[in-house]
Amino acid sequence: MNKEEFISSGLLELYAMRISSPEETQIVEETLKQFPELKQELEDIEISLEEYAQVNAIEPPASAKEKIISRVFAEGANEENKTAPVISINKKTAIPMFYKWIAAAALILLIGSIIVNYSYYEKYHDAKQELITAQRTIEQQQKSNQAMNQDMEIVTNKYAEPVLLKGTPKAPDAVAKIFWMKNTGDVYINPTNLPQAPAGKQYQLWGIVDGKPVDGGMIRTEKGTYHIQKMKSFGKADAFAITLEKAGGSPTPTMSEMVVIAKM
Amino acid sequence: MVIILSLFLNDHVPTIIFLPDTTKYNEEELIALLKGGDESAFAYLYDNYSAALYGIIYRIINNNQVAEDVLQEAFVKIWNNFSSYNASKGRLFTWMVNIARNLSIDTTRGKSYKQQMKIQSNENAVTNASNHINENDRFDSLGLRQQLSALKEDQKQIIDLAYFEGFTQNEISQKLGIPLGTVKTRMRTAILELKKILQP
Repeated sequence: MNKEEFISSGLLELYAMRISSPEETQIVEETLKQFPELKQELEDIEISLEEYAQVNAIEPPASAKEKIISRVFAEGANEENKTAPVISINKKTAIPMFYKWIAAAALILLIGSIIVNYSYYEKYHDAKQELITAQRTIEQQQKSNQAMNQDMEIVTNKYAEPVLLKGTPKAPDAVAKIFWMKNTGDVYINPTNLPQAPAGKQYQLWGIVDGKPVDGGMIRTEKGTYHIQKMKSFGKADAFAITLEKAGGSPTPTMSEMVVIAKM
Repeated sequence: MVIILSLFLNDHVPTIIFLPDTTKYNEEELIALLKGGDESAFAYLYDNYSAALYGIIYRIINNNQVAEDVLQEAFVKIWNNFSSYNASKGRLFTWMVNIARNLSIDTTRGKSYKQQMKIQSNENAVTNASNHINENDRFDSLGLRQQLSALKEDQKQIIDLAYFEGFTQNEISQKLGIPLGTVKTRMRTAILELKKILQP
């Protein structure tokens, strides 16, 4: 069929009105492909029919529009809801491998992390213990340094007058050293060479002032306290003596228990 | 199309109120927007084509309530199946007419429709139909209706049966009791005349 025959066949009109049979439809669509310029002819017919339909239009009830629009948009929303599970089903079959890899990687990372964490915790714990030990050592050393410094200050004080108290026949090996500050009268004692006092007993210092013994304070000789200790002050004294008394001291010296003495 | 308000009801279905808009789309723009699911383009489509489609639906259905239902079905189908519209096979309106016409014809074959029409025929079918003759003034303002009076009655009849009601040439031949050849020539001259009137 050539172009003119086709145009005069009336098939294009049938097609434009969508009343052509399937065979006629096929002929029209093939002919339109063959002669694209016929599309304009088709469109002219369609536009004429469209205008004819508009002239014969009837306004639908006013309520129809809102119903249709809300239904169309609601159905659109429903359709999205409907398609969502379909997509997820597809994903279930398409992506399990991906999830397996993710899960495996996550598990390896988790185990690795636990191992590393445990090892770090051990190291941390050890380091903390070491630190505590070191800090204690330093503290002890600082204390002993401080005590030593105090000792040194007393010993090297230019006003310090050292008095050596020598052992009595009762304790011939005992020695004690007093540092008597000439400017202040302060008395310090170094008990390092006194024997440790027996349980329930304590050494007590006495100053002999105008022939009478005056209490000079208790001397601590427990282990670890063998440092120079500050005693009571004496403005003047004829002699110093140390006796072994009951713990807490006595108001008057027990002369039989005198261990060291020095006359000034 | 301007969307002025979008209110949300309890069931989260948006109620959108469209106000008349002066925007005019050409066919290509409209198709592109509708393919993209543009809702305002759909409202434009409704504003411009619902009356023409309703005229066709009503002619077949001949009942207000049912015709409105079919119009609703037709627009839902147009929206949901828009991706299947192929512009190379014809104009958008031609495609929409086919949908509306097929839905209408299917409806008239349904049992509930036949029952409803029985009830209606017992009531006021005549006034019902006469309420709706040529209510669309938009095109009348162009004076087209008057020009179309130049179309002969038998030419109008054959276009109406074929285009509006989807009758094939054979069916028209049987219905009108005229030979198929006469139907063919009359249909072609009717459309040529229509073209001459509308596109001088």
